[in-house]
Amino acid sequence: MDIESLIENVANALTAGVTIGCIYGLMCIGLGLIFGIMKVVNFAQGEILMLGMFASLYLVTGGGVLAFLGPYVGPFVGAILAGPIIFVVGALIHKFLISRVSGLKTAGSIDDGHFGQLIVTLGISLILQNGGMIVFGSTPFTVRTPLSSSAIEVGLGIGDASVFLNKAKLIACAVAIVTALALYMTMEFTRIGKALRAAADNPTAATYMGIDVDKYYRMAFGMGCGITAIAGGLMATYLSFGPFVGFDYVIIMYSGVVLGGIGSIMGAFWGGLTVGFVQQFSALILPPQLQNAAIFIVFLLIVLLRPQGLFGRSAERA
Amino acid sequence: MLEISNLSVSYGGLRALTDVSLTVAEGQFVTVVGPNGAGKTTLFKTISGVVKPASGSITFFGKDLLSLSASQRAHLGIAHVPEGRQVFKTLTVRENLEMGAYPAAGQAAWARTLDRIHTLFPILHERAGQMAGTLSGGEQQMVAIGRGLACAPRLLMLDEPSMGLAPAVTDTIFERVQQIHKEDGVTILLVEQRVAEALELSDHGYVLETGHMVLDGNYETLLADDRVRKSYLGLT
Repeated sequence: MDIESLIENVANALTAGVTIGCIYGLMCIGLGLIFGIMKVVNFAQGEILMLGMFASLYLVTGGGVLAFLGPYVGPFVGAILAGPIIFVVGALIHKFLISRVSGLKTAGSIDDGHFGQLIVTLGISLILQNGGMIVFGSTPFTVRTPLSSSAIEVGLGIGDASVFLNKAKLIACAVAIVTALALYMTMEFTRIGKALRAAADNPTAATYMGIDVDKYYRMAFGMGCGITAIAGGLMATYLSFGPFVGFDYVIIMYSGVVLGGIGSIMGAFWGGLTVGFVQQFSALILPPQLQNAAIFIVFLLIVLLRPQGLFGRSAERA
Repeated sequence: MLEISNLSVSYGGLRALTDVSLTVAEGQFVTVVGPNGAGKTTLFKTISGVVKPASGSITFFGKDLLSLSASQRAHLGIAHVPEGRQVFKTLTVRENLEMGAYPAAGQAAWARTLDRIHTLFPILHERAGQMAGTLSGGEQQMVAIGRGLACAPRLLMLDEPSMGLAPAVTDTIFERVQQIHKEDGVTILLVEQRVAEALELSDHGYVLETGHMVLDGNYETLLADDRVRKSYLGLT
């Protein structure tokens, strides 16, 4: 391999890593939000991603609600609108299932409800996968946009080396960053965001302040699902998916959240970005089947060296 | 304003409170004293609604508290400064105070109460941007009390504010509590193990032992009682 094509490959892996990584980052925030605020381990998050993809698909092509927006804008508006739709789905799942095994109901019990949560979320995951199979079928889908097969070519100034930026991924990346920033601002500066963090930090004390912790937990669960669903809608513009797509990504989501530091919501974004980066770079030297292995090697290394995660920090006085 | 009658609470068959009655009138300073495990914290948690009673009634300004959820009770103007401070460790000092002002009354009075909190505890102004978990125990207690004041309370419930603090810091805290009572006219219900100081501050005291109210009265009455003198004040 000559130096010119090496530079080209590295530069392409770099840009692909950043664009895909940002979308993964958004996906991880959804899971991180649920875990960070409610301490619920949600195994169904991969299926929430899948639901986001199908919600976007039906908005854009199936139901054709967004057909008037055309193939350029439609898929991205569909992805964003998948957010509020899956927010409602998430809030309902919380109301009828999750709230029975979490929050104030199980606070102070021996396992804090974790055993129940494991079984319930695993069950939801299986039901959604197989229910998806019945409803959607097994043929792979994609939210078609001409943008996913066109790219911007940027010359690097070294011989013929140039970077190809896939337009669909580029726009998806931008939407992901804006969504993540909006969430960050909400969590940091609004009354709702602060109350969510207070409810996460100390639910009992939050109750003393007059914060309805169960209501905020429901909102957190819905938001976590909605955010992951937006990421799903964005991913649907450049990859094909079916009812079982969630399984591949739930692993990525968990690595991202643990990498970023469990409990740190924005850390989950950086964790997801790292995973995307590693995945794209490993493609340079490893066959595609080993990409997930590369993710886990980096994962193990980071957990070995920084068990609190990349961005996890302690607020306790030493 | 606060009327508790014949309150009984059990934890899984274990009686924590038996037939407890207590009255706090508006503007009063009432103290509940008693040894460890007497049920003082349980009493507070039952008032706030985190613990559900087996029987009895609690009314606040004539309103039945037991029919309201825990989070709704704070909106009536009941501020609970819990045992062990329980500040929001990952939130900044300012955000802790803002969360204290979560009820509507607290938001309406925010500018004024924040000013007042900073006058009482200037350190909270200095540390406004610092995470509450990184503060010392005394400073965290100040955050907890400030957070309680931020909701513009009609009743301020303090659960052992002196717990785990150096004597000098405790003196400051007691002084501020007295200021809050005298200058701001806030009604106070205090639970304390530092019996002598606590009773001295209060208009009325209750003695709680193993879940039973064994005695109540004003400072002089309690001081005249042999049991109180021996067990709590170390006098003979």
